[in-house]
Parts: sequence; C-alpha cells; structure tokens
Amino acid sequence: MTPPRAPAADVIATVTDLRVHFRAKGGTVHAVDGVSFDIRDGETLGLVGETGCGKSVTARSFLRLVPMPPGIAAGGSIMFGPERVDLTTADDRTLRRIRGDRIAMIFQDPAKALNPALTVRDQIAEVFSEHRVPDVLARAGIGPATADGWLLRRRAARRARLPERFALALPPLRSRSAAIDRALDDMIADALAETQIPNPRKVMDRYPHELSGGMRQRVMISQALACNPALLIADEPTTALDVTVQARIIELIRDLQQRHDTAVLYISHDLSLVRWVCDRVAVMYAGRIVEAGPTAQVLADPQHPYTRGLLAAVPSATHRRGELVAIEGTVPELIDPPPSCRFAGRCAHAAPACRRRDPILAPVADGHEVACFLHHPPDDADADDLPTADWVAR
Amino acid sequence: MTTVTERSGGAAVAPQGDILLGVRDLRRYFPIREGALQRVVGHVKAVDGVSFDLRRGQTLGLVGESGCGKTTLGRCVSGLSEPTGGGVYFDLTAERAAQLDRLLAVPEAERTDAQRAELDALGTAHRVDLLTRQAWRRFRRNTQVVFQDSFSSLNPRQLVRDIVGRPLRVHREASGSALRERVVELLDQVGLGRQHLNRYPHQFSGGQRQRISIARALALDPELVVLDEPTSALDVSVQAQILNLLHLLQQEHGLTYLFITHDLSVVRHMADRIVVMYVGRVAEAGPTEQLFASPAHPYTRALLQASPDLFDDSTGFRGLEGTVPDPARPPAGCRFHTRCPLVTADCGWEVDDVVRWLEEEPGMFDELAGVERGSAFDAALTFGSDDAARRLVAALRSDAVPQAMRDALERADVTGARVDVAFRPVDEVELTRRGPDHHAACVLEDLPPV
Repeated sequence: MTPPRAPAADVIATVTDLRVHFRAKGGTVHAVDGVSFDIRDGETLGLVGETGCGKSVTARSFLRLVPMPPGIAAGGSIMFGPERVDLTTADDRTLRRIRGDRIAMIFQDPAKALNPALTVRDQIAEVFSEHRVPDVLARAGIGPATADGWLLRRRAARRARLPERFALALPPLRSRSAAIDRALDDMIADALAETQIPNPRKVMDRYPHELSGGMRQRVMISQALACNPALLIADEPTTALDVTVQARIIELIRDLQQRHDTAVLYISHDLSLVRWVCDRVAVMYAGRIVEAGPTAQVLADPQHPYTRGLLAAVPSATHRRGELVAIEGTVPELIDPPPSCRFAGRCAHAAPACRRRDPILAPVADGHEVACFLHHPPDDADADDLPTADWVAR
Repeated sequence: MTTVTERSGGAAVAPQGDILLGVRDLRRYFPIREGALQRVVGHVKAVDGVSFDLRRGQTLGLVGESGCGKTTLGRCVSGLSEPTGGGVYFDLTAERAAQLDRLLAVPEAERTDAQRAELDALGTAHRVDLLTRQAWRRFRRNTQVVFQDSFSSLNPRQLVRDIVGRPLRVHREASGSALRERVVELLDQVGLGRQHLNRYPHQFSGGQRQRISIARALALDPELVVLDEPTSALDVSVQAQILNLLHLLQQEHGLTYLFITHDLSVVRHMADRIVVMYVGRVAEAGPTEQLFASPAHPYTRALLQASPDLFDDSTGFRGLEGTVPDPARPPAGCRFHTRCPLVTADCGWEVDDVVRWLEEEPGMFDELAGVERGSAFDAALTFGSDDAARRLVAALRSDAVPQAMRDALERADVTGARVDVAFRPVDEVELTRRGPDHHAACVLEDLPPV
C-alpha cells in the first residue's frame, strides 16, 4: 500500500485487492482484477484509463451499483469511514444509510441519471427525505417530542399513505404540514444555490429535459452534495459537456470540495483534465492499477510504459503532424487472462518475464508506485528475460 | 518549433492556390412549426451567414461548442443538406473565385442582367445546389464524409466488403474480383487486412470501425473529405493512431480536409487554418498558430482558456458563464455579448437582455405581462404591478446589470406598470481584418492582455 506522507492524512476509504468479474459467453471477464488504493480525507484522487479498463466498475463497487449477476464479487474489500464498514459485504440497511448521505455519486450523463418524470424539486427532496428528516422538522419549527410527531415525520420522509395524507391535509396538522413543505423547499433551494444555479426557486419546478446539459449536471451535483457527503464519486462528470461548461463544472466541484472538505474519487479518461483536478492519480489498464502517485509527479515523470504511451498520444504543440506516438494494438480480452503483465502485448519493452508473471505495484519514489518489471525485477529471473528501457537506470 | 514556421508558411503561400471549396454567406434555417396546421412560427438559424475558403491540400478546422452549427455546415458542404441561402462553391480557380466575389459584392437588387447571367453560369458550374447532373456526380465523387459515430454510419447488416465496395459499385468503378482487390487495397491503406473482408461492423473496435469509415471515404479517391468529429468517440491512444493515419493519407493522396471538432488540441495538431463558429456565425478565422498565439475574439480566448493543456500552463483553466443562446433568436450585435467577459456598450445590448435578466431574478419574470417590441432595441414592457416596474428600472440603473449594459441604455421610463426601454441600436458585428488571412468579428481592436 501507499506509504502515508508525513503528516499522515486520515484515510476515508481503503480499497484492498478488489476483484469484480463478469460472467460472459466465453468465460469469466476479469473487469477489475486486484485493485488497491486509498482515498484520503479531503483529497481528489483521479482514476484514469481508457475505455474498458475497469475504472467505472471500481467506482460503482463503492455503492454496490454493479448488477450481480452477471457481475461476481470475486474478492477484496472496500473499507469506508472511521468505523471501517466493508462496503462489499455490508447489509442493505447500512448501505442504504451510506448511499447519498456519506458517499454520493455523479454520473457522466445527467440526462440519464436524473429521473425524467420528476421535477428537480422532487429529485432533490428524495435525498432529504431519506437522510435528513430531523433537519427538515427542525427547520419547519417542529420539535421532536410532539404527540402527532410520527405523522409529521412520515410527511417529511414523504412516506405518508393516503389516509395519513388526509389527516395531514386537515387542521390541526395542515399548517405544520405546510411548514414542512416550506422547509423542504428552502433546503432544496439552498442546495441548488450552492451550485450557483440562478433563480433556484424557478428551476425547482422544471423537469430535467427543460434544462441545458450544464444545468442538469449542476442539479445532479446539488443532489449529490445535498447531504454534505464525506466522499464524492464523480464518474466522468464533464465528458458530455462543452469545454466552456466543463471548466465551470470543474471549478464548481473544486470550490465545493474545498469548502466542505469532501474527498473526491474522480474518474476520467482525459489526462489534461486530471492534471488540473486531482491531487493524486492512479492509472488503470485492463483491470489493474499500473501506476499511482502525486499527479504532478506522475505526469512529469511517468514510469510505466503505458502511462508514457498515454501521455505521448495526446496531441500538443510539440508534436509534428503525423508523428503522434500512438500505442499500437488494442486492449486485450479480459476473459480468464493468464498470469502476465496485461500491457505486455502492446509494450515496446516487453520481455519474456513480462509474459509469464504478474508485476505488482511497488514504490519507485515517495508515494509514487509502479507495477512494472522495468523497476522491480523478480529476484529469481534471468537478466536476459527482463525488460530494459533507456529511461530506467539499472 | 520548426513545425510552427512550416505550417504558417504553408498557409501564407496558399492564397494563390485553387479554392476547392468556397462558402459564401451560407445560411441554413430549420423551420419551427406549431399548432394543428403546423404553421411556421420561426426559424432555427443553425448556420447564419458563413463565408470561408478552403484551398486545395489544406486542412481547415471548424471549432465551436455544440449547437453552434458546425455539423450543419459540414452537411451543407458535403451536399447532404440544401442551403436556405447563400452557396457552397466547389472547385473554383483563382480567377473564377475573384469573379464570383466581384459579382456577389453587388447587392442583389442592383445586379444587371449580364451580371445575373454570369452568376447563373458560375452557379451551374460550381454551386453545389445548382449543379448540372454530370457536375453533381463529379462533386459527390470528390466529396466524402467521415462521421463521428461509426455505429450509426456503418450499416450493421452489411459486411465490410460491401460497405467499402459500395461507392465503387454505385459509380461503376469496379466489379467482381477487381472490386474485391480494390477493397483489400483500401483496407490495407487504413491498416486493416484481407481477413477483415467478411466481417460485420459490430465485430470491430471503435478505432477499427472508424478506419472502415475512412476506407469507404477514400474508395473513390476524392479531393475533399469532411471529417465530422472523427475521433471524439475514441480513446487517446487510438485517436493518435487515427490522426496519424489521416495525416499520412493526406500526404499520399493530396487530400483536402474540413475537420470539424470541438477538441482544440486535436484541431491545433491537424489544421492549417481554423474557423471558430458561435451561434451560426464565424467569430474568428485565421492561421492555426496565430489564432492560438494571439486570439482576436474573446470567444476564441475563452475556448482556449477552458481547454486544459497537458503541458502548457500559460492559458490557465477557466470556464465561461451562461449558456449558448437560442439560435432561433440570436442576440443582436455581437452574438457573444451575453457571455463575453470583455463586453462593451457597443456590443448589441437589446430588449432580450432585459428579459433574460428578468428570468434570472426571483419573482420578476412572473410579473411580466407583455412585451411590445418596436425593434430589437426598444420595447414597452408591461408588468402585473407598479412595484415590479419600478424595481426593473431601479435595477437597470444599478449594479444589478453590467456597466456596459447601463452605458448602452438610452431610455428606461416608468409609467405605472409600464416600462419603456431603449438601447442604442447596433448593427451586426462583421468580420474585420486582423492580420494576413486572419479575421475576427469583435468590436474591440485589440484584446487586453489576460
């Protein structure tokens, strides 16, 4: 694991040897195959990689959103919070309390993640009704010890059944019931205003299709941050947006994160974006983390051939036209992979040792880890079997 | 930095060359229909007066946010969509282009019969929507398109040999075993092989499918290829392969590219010249390096600042307020004035800006009862209460609205619940010259340093 930097920041979540497989026609797909990392309090950890490298499945495992079957929890753990709840084995009640309250998620496509049949008010009210009933009642000026409190609590949780709703619509409960509505509206408007939505009271009555892409993404962010979660999982939150809007959303997430001291797991395929957003970055390839470390260090001094390839493939002013360094080949099939470096098939430095056994993540510098035999040759291997590269001193 | 000098050098030499594609005041409107009779109540002005030249062998990058009309423009250029006004001229010699510009400079009403006949002759020979049958066939052969989404642009029920061979069969170029050999040759050019002939599109990865699209586009050895976001669905490592391939093919076949994208790092890498579009119009056009080094339009600068660079910190990373305005009611003056950080009083403040402010101000929009417009710049707004009317006028004279808007305000008189507002009328901002081959549509001569 990552040696903690001094002074050691508290760790909000620890992923250890996470494995998520999928049953498919030709065998078992090892989508996530032994991933380990920490997320520290208040930091932004970037998870980067190309399509199909397992980054989304890793993120979804936090909230157990991977459908099982066809998914198989093949091992590992995700320990969350000071009480170290294992999210992979926690019971549904515990998980339900954590989802949306202490861990929230924003998705790539807000048009799909928001319910098209509900107004913005109803979508955000769900979060408060699920997790913040006492706050709603307090804000409505209703003490906890009222005799008919259970009815009002059900009202605030939006769980009142038809006869109960009758009772709530009649005096003496009517005025307090209306106060709950007002309190909820206030809280929703505050949550929307947090994300700098102009005129939140008006947006509340809109349906998602009436809003622009950037606005929808803001609604989703306000929904995610409504309960002030300790960990926010952002799965490519800006991929569907224009660059100008993307920059605004990133600014917004950063600003909110700093104000609330939220840890963020930021998933992206865009290295240039990660550079601006993340404190630390973990590069994934074919279900494994191949390199991890402080963003500036990994991008300035990449040590894994895959990371180097990815960085060289991004077009920039320094490349002559037609001379981008592409990584030849494609991501390997992950059906029952043999023990070998997953990148060996595309790696320019691959040697026999790379095709026979798995490299493991090990430190090369303070906080900077790489899984490659270039840096950590196995003790019992022949020198001829090992890969060499001009940037690595032996 | 040898690339920089080579590239801008190439662009500077080019003006003498043939114009493969001349776009002149191109307009493409889509009607908005309403009611039981589907009456046309307005138009979405997707492309609204765009002009540029694309010279043979060059790559022109077309950039802009989604909804700015770049794809519609690409469809008009490739003959997939009929222009509402203006025209796309194909394969003009330098003399013909000069003749065309001379004729188009005369307003339509003042043209003599001789000038009209001359223009018609030019049109049937070169204008894409007026071409004779034979010329149309020649144009279609020479203009091919590669679309963004290779899933929907390749027929899922056809084998690769049919997909790539189809243009050859339609134009009766080859048949039988000759056709097959030609298809193998084309696949070979894009890095695929004989073993891929009898497969369906779904059996390929995204990058390979895009290669098939490119092979199909190259089948008839065209002159112009319209690339509509060819790599935006691909991962960077695959994108690099495709961009290298496109460059190689351009060198080998002397292709001309119209490269439509929203990714500035890609367009900077690929294009000789760039046209930046905003809400259906050209905001800025110029040689790539010049545009990146010294943008002359605030929108271009905003785009640059919003695109994070992997190595370069100089542009920073900053977003842009607000959303792209509705192309059915484009803002007056400069279309970017609603979001521009450098906005001045001359940028076209209008009644719609007041309405926009009312929409964002809690409670105010509900009070608005009616708007009687004299023009885009003056109107009478009626409110539900006298108080709301007074609040609006007070706001128009305070910090609640930008200083530039207050400067442009000529009148804001309140009579009861009615407010008369008038702004200084401004013409649409035209493109002006900023350097050799570099034009921008901004009222500011120079942008202040960042």
